[in-house]
Amino acid sequence: MSALLSRPWLRIGVGLVVPALVLIWWQSQATAGGARAIAFAPLQSVGTAFVELAESGLIFSDMLATLSRSLSGLAIGGALGIATGVAMACWRPLDRVLGPLLMAIRQVPLMGWLPLIGLWAGTGGASELIVVSISAFFPTMLNSYEGVAHVERRYVEVGRIYGFTAAQRFRLILLPAAMPLVLTGVTQAFAFAWISSIATEILLGVGGGLGVTMQLAQTQQRLDIILVTIIATALLGFAINQLFCSLRAHLLRWQASPL
Amino acid sequence: MFPDVRSRPPAEAKAAARGALTISDLDKSFTIAGAPRAVLDGVNLTVKPGEFISIVGASGCGKSTLLRLIVGLDAEYSGEIRLDGERIATTSLDRGIVFQDHRLFPWMTLGQNIELALLNTDTPKARRAQIVADHIALVNLQGFETAYPHQLSGGMAQRAAIARALVTEPKLLLLDEPLGALDALTRVHVQNELQRIWMAQRSTMIMVTHDVEEALYLGDRVVVMSPNPGRIRRIVDVDLPHPRDRSAPLLHRLKDEILAELTARPADPANLVRLPGREER
Repeated sequence: MSALLSRPWLRIGVGLVVPALVLIWWQSQATAGGARAIAFAPLQSVGTAFVELAESGLIFSDMLATLSRSLSGLAIGGALGIATGVAMACWRPLDRVLGPLLMAIRQVPLMGWLPLIGLWAGTGGASELIVVSISAFFPTMLNSYEGVAHVERRYVEVGRIYGFTAAQRFRLILLPAAMPLVLTGVTQAFAFAWISSIATEILLGVGGGLGVTMQLAQTQQRLDIILVTIIATALLGFAINQLFCSLRAHLLRWQASPL
Repeated sequence: MFPDVRSRPPAEAKAAARGALTISDLDKSFTIAGAPRAVLDGVNLTVKPGEFISIVGASGCGKSTLLRLIVGLDAEYSGEIRLDGERIATTSLDRGIVFQDHRLFPWMTLGQNIELALLNTDTPKARRAQIVADHIALVNLQGFETAYPHQLSGGMAQRAAIARALVTEPKLLLLDEPLGALDALTRVHVQNELQRIWMAQRSTMIMVTHDVEEALYLGDRVVVMSPNPGRIRRIVDVDLPHPRDRSAPLLHRLKDEILAELTARPADPANLVRLPGREER
């Protein structure tokens, strides 16, 4: 089995088995007739809806809008998160001052911030971006903090032996040693940013995006369009996540492979 | 009681050659569960430049602590540790150390790991690559410059760590059970290389080990330590020229003596003569 799975095309094929079964089941439900057909749009109508959305270009502009919102949020929140986490781990007084506040803030669900942020920044794209940035901030902050705080002392001692300056210690020891966790944080942060982008789009419904179209389709009872946006969300999110994983594997090529 | 750290070295020490180490009345204690606990007690040792000293002793006798003090990772001690007359208070590029775990940075290649030792030396940038290459050749690791530590075997990584410690040409090289984690065959191989390197460089070396045979094979003198608190029990002169023959009768005789010393029982002289390879039980 594991030998079979070592071939890439077979591995991909195996991953498609369950989705195919789900589609077959779905189609059988949709064609069963009666009350069920309302809740299960047949696949051909989903296909037609996709063609319709693709010809108008709406689905692509939505994907682009959601993606750029997620990535901007990731860039802002992630950069602040890494900087805060690293600074808190390097300088304990900052940890004492900021740590409790940040931990308390973290307990508030993201959507809980929306009314408050809406009051400050209005119900436009700015609010959406702030929420997405906050969602990207915490995973990167926590993981960067853990990564830097737990750098092995034995490596720091090597730096002392060779007379490293504080800057050299940071650049050559702390940062690379913390990199696996920092990148774990960034990967998690993307997942959070992606989810919160869709969620804020659904709730605020401004500026375009997959969530905006989802919300609109719901008010128009277009189940086929809802399904197209859901599939687009899932596939695009999955693709970006894979991209992050390969980027991570490349940056951490110095690590022994886990198997 | 606490002499001025910045006091100038005495005139005769200044005139001495590179790598002369003097340890006098060294005491060191750690605080464990609120109570001070002596780790080293009244250690006195003078190491001549270019000498190879082996330190053996049961675990807990403070051998590794002693090396950490000499290399400067721990500056809290009473007494004196002076290298060429200068009191040791912190780390310096004059003193190198090889740990039991190789401590190569896993995120750097072998070549980068060795080169980083030169980062803060005044070696011209243009010459560094050549020096690194020379030292990689010295420990027989040509062809592995771009390998990451996880791709190396234990023996190779330990040799790379030795190369990293040598690249700065320290006056004094400390070896803290550098071969402890290696299998018997690799160990013999790296011991031979260590002897060859030491004969070529003639820098002062102090090696901590729990292998009495290794201590005798490499050391000009073997310092036997006893635990709780760590004290020097005996210093054994190994009066044999380098390179040495492992089967030399003197080494075997001394091994039995030291083992008897470490197990705190007098060796039976009759036994030593008749059964030179036998260990006291």
